[in-house]
Amino acid sequence: MPRVSRPDPARADLDRRVRAFMREPWREDEARFEALALELFAFQFEHCAPYARFCEGRGCTPHGVRSWREIPAVPTGAFKELALRSFPAERTCKVFRTSGTSAGRRGALYLDTLEVYEASLLPSFERFVLPDLAPDARASFAMLAPSPGEAGESSLSHMFGVLVARRGGPRSEFFVRGGELAEERLSQALRRAERDGEALVLCGAAFAFVHLLERLAARGERVALPPGSRAMETGGFKGRARELGQEPLYAEIEARLGIPPARIVNQYGMTELGSQFHDTVLREPEAPRRKLGPPWTRVRLLDPETGEEAAPGAAGMLTIVDLANTGSVLAVQTADLGRRLGDGFEVLGRAAGAEERGCSIAADAMLGAGAR
Amino acid sequence: MSGAAAIRAALGRLREAGRALRARSAESVLAALGAVLEEWREPASPPRRSLAEELPKAAGFSRPVVERGLALALGGWSGAALRALYERELGPLADAAPPRRLASGFDNAALLLAGAIPSASLATLVAPLALRCAALAKPAARDPLTAPLLRASLARADAGLAAALEIAAFDARDDALLDAFLEADCAVATGSDATVSRVAARVAPPRRLVAYGHRVSFAALGPAALAGAALADACARLALDVALWDQLGCLSPVSLLVAGDARAARAAAESLAAALGRIEAELPRGEVSPAAAAGIAHERAEAELRAAARGRAALFGGPSWTVVAEEDARPRPAPLHRFVRVAPVSDAAGVLAALAPYAPHLAALGTAGFAGGAPDLARGAAALGASRVCPLGAMQAPPLAWCHDGQGVLLPLARWTDVELEG
Repeated sequence: MPRVSRPDPARADLDRRVRAFMREPWREDEARFEALALELFAFQFEHCAPYARFCEGRGCTPHGVRSWREIPAVPTGAFKELALRSFPAERTCKVFRTSGTSAGRRGALYLDTLEVYEASLLPSFERFVLPDLAPDARASFAMLAPSPGEAGESSLSHMFGVLVARRGGPRSEFFVRGGELAEERLSQALRRAERDGEALVLCGAAFAFVHLLERLAARGERVALPPGSRAMETGGFKGRARELGQEPLYAEIEARLGIPPARIVNQYGMTELGSQFHDTVLREPEAPRRKLGPPWTRVRLLDPETGEEAAPGAAGMLTIVDLANTGSVLAVQTADLGRRLGDGFEVLGRAAGAEERGCSIAADAMLGAGAR
Repeated sequence: MSGAAAIRAALGRLREAGRALRARSAESVLAALGAVLEEWREPASPPRRSLAEELPKAAGFSRPVVERGLALALGGWSGAALRALYERELGPLADAAPPRRLASGFDNAALLLAGAIPSASLATLVAPLALRCAALAKPAARDPLTAPLLRASLARADAGLAAALEIAAFDARDDALLDAFLEADCAVATGSDATVSRVAARVAPPRRLVAYGHRVSFAALGPAALAGAALADACARLALDVALWDQLGCLSPVSLLVAGDARAARAAAESLAAALGRIEAELPRGEVSPAAAAGIAHERAEAELRAAARGRAALFGGPSWTVVAEEDARPRPAPLHRFVRVAPVSDAAGVLAALAPYAPHLAALGTAGFAGGAPDLARGAAALGASRVCPLGAMQAPPLAWCHDGQGVLLPLARWTDVELEG
């Protein structure tokens, strides 16, 4: 039987304080964030050797870093190449992997505890997707994803599993089984919700919604889900046969399911991050749609050429500092472009570069790299 | 041109123009087209001057890249080369014997152009005309110049040929416009796999679809080019292949596979980085979009992390180029815009093993330093699906007769008739 070391007391204390931050009423606290981020950076520098060497190469050490903005961010691609964990390998209790093909390698997030991960996801989801539900109310979730039991390495399925367990009503269900959309069963659930006036919360990757809409179209079905229904879509279309822009996707969701765009929330998240960012449409319907994250995260938009903060209004690389990443690395640099919008941001994606390539293509796209 | 009705009207005119063209001899049409190609070979000609002046603004390339790229690509595209291509693929032009097999073109073709490389568009535009098939061309957003410039050249050379080429500038995302465009007898789609798939879904028999989707190219160094002057020479030639068109063509190599150990690969990476640094002064890189810059920055940081963590990767980066000496040849992202990965492989068989994951999309393999031209490497690359194996330094200069995507140039556009009459 493998010997499992005892949890590091310093790490356990950090986890405890981060979870306390997550449990408290939602409010920005720059000093608290700064202190926790610097402490976590110092811990990860000490316990994650590849990250420490990366930081040293950039001349950054816990002694020199004075602000969370100075913490070196690791690119998401590195999670495909290296085990970026700040704990002994034998303490790994869960591995979430990015989706991918046989040729493309998959990124991995190693966890030695799920407590921080789960503590982070619920407040964000409740605030931005279920803002009108009483704290003890339960919702009927229709998850367009496999259950966590079927897809144990999918962070999305795990998240959906937690949501169903904590906030789901008895009719909540996962509608992807054996890799296939349980079309007939989902059709029945949609019609039943329409008939009974029971609001549904549909959640899934964007491509799963596209697939559902195609199947409904093929069956000639439309439903008008009752008021209160909403959708939460996430992720892109990498490696998928059919891509659909957000505007036409939302128009089709409205046409086939009766959920207007004002009740569709896009979630920006990734396997490599413990926290998620959500559209504000349900919480602030009168304000411009933008993405906000929880107080234990910070988002930087960096000019890809200079590495400095992008000019106001200009596109920049999304770089995220997330205190929920206690067991890996808290600062993560994505390859996604975003733009600051008020107190939040919008994601511009990577599609802007596609046109210039003509018949050429980034090799990763050709091999069908996937999201989560 | 705007609106489906205008597109259909153009196809109607072109149908008549195509029939008029086929009333002429193949000889006369090829002679006129050959004269046009000769004009395009001349750097001081109107189309070449226009491209040098205007393409940098439209496509984001530097002017020296446009000038050098066109000089290299069009240098061999002569009238004689066109005639040779025709005879190679379709049979002899002047044959006194009764025909046994006849090739003819369609009345009209719709050409969906992509990318920003004028020579690639020129080949796509000339092919149907060589078969005396009229063409309606939709230029790519980043090269709106080549098609109208060719039409102007045709007008100077041969009014009948000029009438057989029209330009349709429209938004191809509009389904109704695309459907009208694809009502031509033959559709030629170039671009992303997604674009090609979208077109394919709209072209039903008996209409013909000729599709050129996403492709990727590689370079390989053999044992005779791993050190000294041979290495420097090979990397200088590879740097040219990479720098031209800023690595955005399907013939642009994204990775260099070195038949040697990690030390040899590292030496090749250093040599290539130096060569890319030198060539920047002569052929400056053009504009890079924020999205592309983000991809480059991300991959640089990823390589930096692996280099720091394991010490088996090394990053060589200049302001406008990146070379990563990799520890192995596993598939990794290629952000383009002069970003090259250099990986060790065992030998020629190792080169082929590294190419295998890309087989469905393989375009070209540029080589140097393999004994006797490495016929086995060429056979292996061909078996994987590569349509071109050539020396380094020539990757951006495919012959006019290069069998693009393994399909041939004129063959996919031809309709064949076997003649079995007696005496």
